[in-house]
Amino acid sequence: MRNLTTLWRREVASLWFSPVAYILTTMFLVVMGVGFWFVASYRLVDGASIYDVLRALYGGVAWFALLMVIPVLTMRSFAEEKRSGTLEMLLTAPVTDWEVVLAKFLGLVTIYILMWAPTLAYLLILNHVNDAQTALDIGALGSTYLGLLLIGMFFLSIGLLCSALTQNLIVAAISTFACLGVIFIGGFLPEVSPSPVLRQLTEPFSPILHMLDFARGLVDTRPLVLYVSGTWLMLTTTTRVLESRRWRA
Amino acid sequence: MMIDVEHLTKKYPGGVTAVSDVSFTVARGDVVGFLGPNGAGKSTTMRILSGFISPSGGTVRVAGLDVTKDSLKVRRHLGYLPESCPLYLEMRVRDFLRYRGELKGVPYRHLKNRVSKVMEQCGLLEVRKRPIGHLSKGFRQRVGIADALVHNPDLLILDEPTIGLDPNQILLIRKLIDELSREHTLLLSTHILREVEATCDRVIVLQQGQIVDSAPLRELEDRWCPATRIHLEVRAKSDELDVFCRQLPDLREFKLRMEDDWACLELDFGLNADPRQDLFDRVRQRGWDLRELHRKRRTLEEAFVNMTHGEVPAGDIPEEAAHA
Repeated sequence: MRNLTTLWRREVASLWFSPVAYILTTMFLVVMGVGFWFVASYRLVDGASIYDVLRALYGGVAWFALLMVIPVLTMRSFAEEKRSGTLEMLLTAPVTDWEVVLAKFLGLVTIYILMWAPTLAYLLILNHVNDAQTALDIGALGSTYLGLLLIGMFFLSIGLLCSALTQNLIVAAISTFACLGVIFIGGFLPEVSPSPVLRQLTEPFSPILHMLDFARGLVDTRPLVLYVSGTWLMLTTTTRVLESRRWRA
Repeated sequence: MMIDVEHLTKKYPGGVTAVSDVSFTVARGDVVGFLGPNGAGKSTTMRILSGFISPSGGTVRVAGLDVTKDSLKVRRHLGYLPESCPLYLEMRVRDFLRYRGELKGVPYRHLKNRVSKVMEQCGLLEVRKRPIGHLSKGFRQRVGIADALVHNPDLLILDEPTIGLDPNQILLIRKLIDELSREHTLLLSTHILREVEATCDRVIVLQQGQIVDSAPLRELEDRWCPATRIHLEVRAKSDELDVFCRQLPDLREFKLRMEDDWACLELDFGLNADPRQDLFDRVRQRGWDLRELHRKRRTLEEAFVNMTHGEVPAGDIPEEAAHA
């Protein structure tokens, strides 16, 4: 546990005090802020409820931010350590490969949460402009952020795996973006596919539908299991990739 | 034994054999130099010892523990400085060493003192608050050594600790290594043979993944440079010198070079011969002018060149040395 917290602290510090984190956070908040302003001003004028606004924001605008931010956030994790040779220094300390992978993942999740934290202000703004008849449903808001966390964790773990597979930052970022892009575009299949079989098959795996459900306050155990097990699979695969240096390196 | 390596083999995918059937031991408190040309398998062996990569065959024990089965315990016993001295450049020296100390299991209550001690030992106190990326290469190398030392390991493995440093920095690092050798078992890999001469009790020479020889320095020099070399400068004609050389007893070979009127001779005699007085008398008898006569020190460089060029030594390599 001591190793994990030491490694986690170092990961958070290295991510948080790097210019990349500031640029990313700024970019993320600008995209989310502009999205919020558009959605809120148009929807509220049209008489839509604040939940329609939240659904449009977290089920729509957030995707753009996630697809842009996560590849850049995760690209350095292992690729940079491999490129600079610090991975050798790190893995010859008395720590397990799993501890290193988990600490890096938790560091990324921490930064991800910190990036989302300012968006809570949107809720305060909505609450302020909202009429008193429809008070904000804390449960629905909680499930929205739970969905963002689960999907974010899964996406971050994919980014971590891509970063472990190369020592080139650009390759890591592009491969993560490609993977997330396929998952995201594949998420439209249940809506656009002409084949009912394909629609039925892809529906349980659509992150877009899952996010819309979470934004409605619906916490289904199926996506919960899907994202937690998917994240676990990615993290254990990353550990195996890291271990492969023992016979490959 | 601090290190016990038996029949170590490392094969990379694609059929490249980096290390082949290497066996050697390092006793507690020994300072051993790892020598060999590029690609000889030094760094691979050190990486296996440090637990970063696994061997393809053979057994490797550090402090009695198997590096494959008890990798974590082994890593607590050793401090390792990789070849390129990789460090987190954005971290400050003190923070980096605290982080590494924590990771290597230094108890929290001792961490501050331990970090201060290694900073003092490695001459880092003046730069403790500076980011590592702002330091010179010499200081970075010292940070790398301080990192290897921070948990006070029994064994230090330093892979090319002076590579890329200027002569002043090399002297400082060498002095530091010399100090460390009093308290730790040390395995040192280097290209700089003078470094080995200055610090090591014993040398292991690798070439193409195999041990060529392993012995204390003097023994190695005797075995691979089995000659007494005399440098002689006299004013004489070259045909006279030819006769002169042929009359010398126990002379193995000689080289002649003319510098204006002066003949510069390199004369190789048997290992324990000391023909200086005899040479002086012979030169005086001939009435030649003598400018210089001295015995040249055999160098590890010569032994190294002979070893790595496959020259067979004068005597047989003892069985234990051949197998280190």
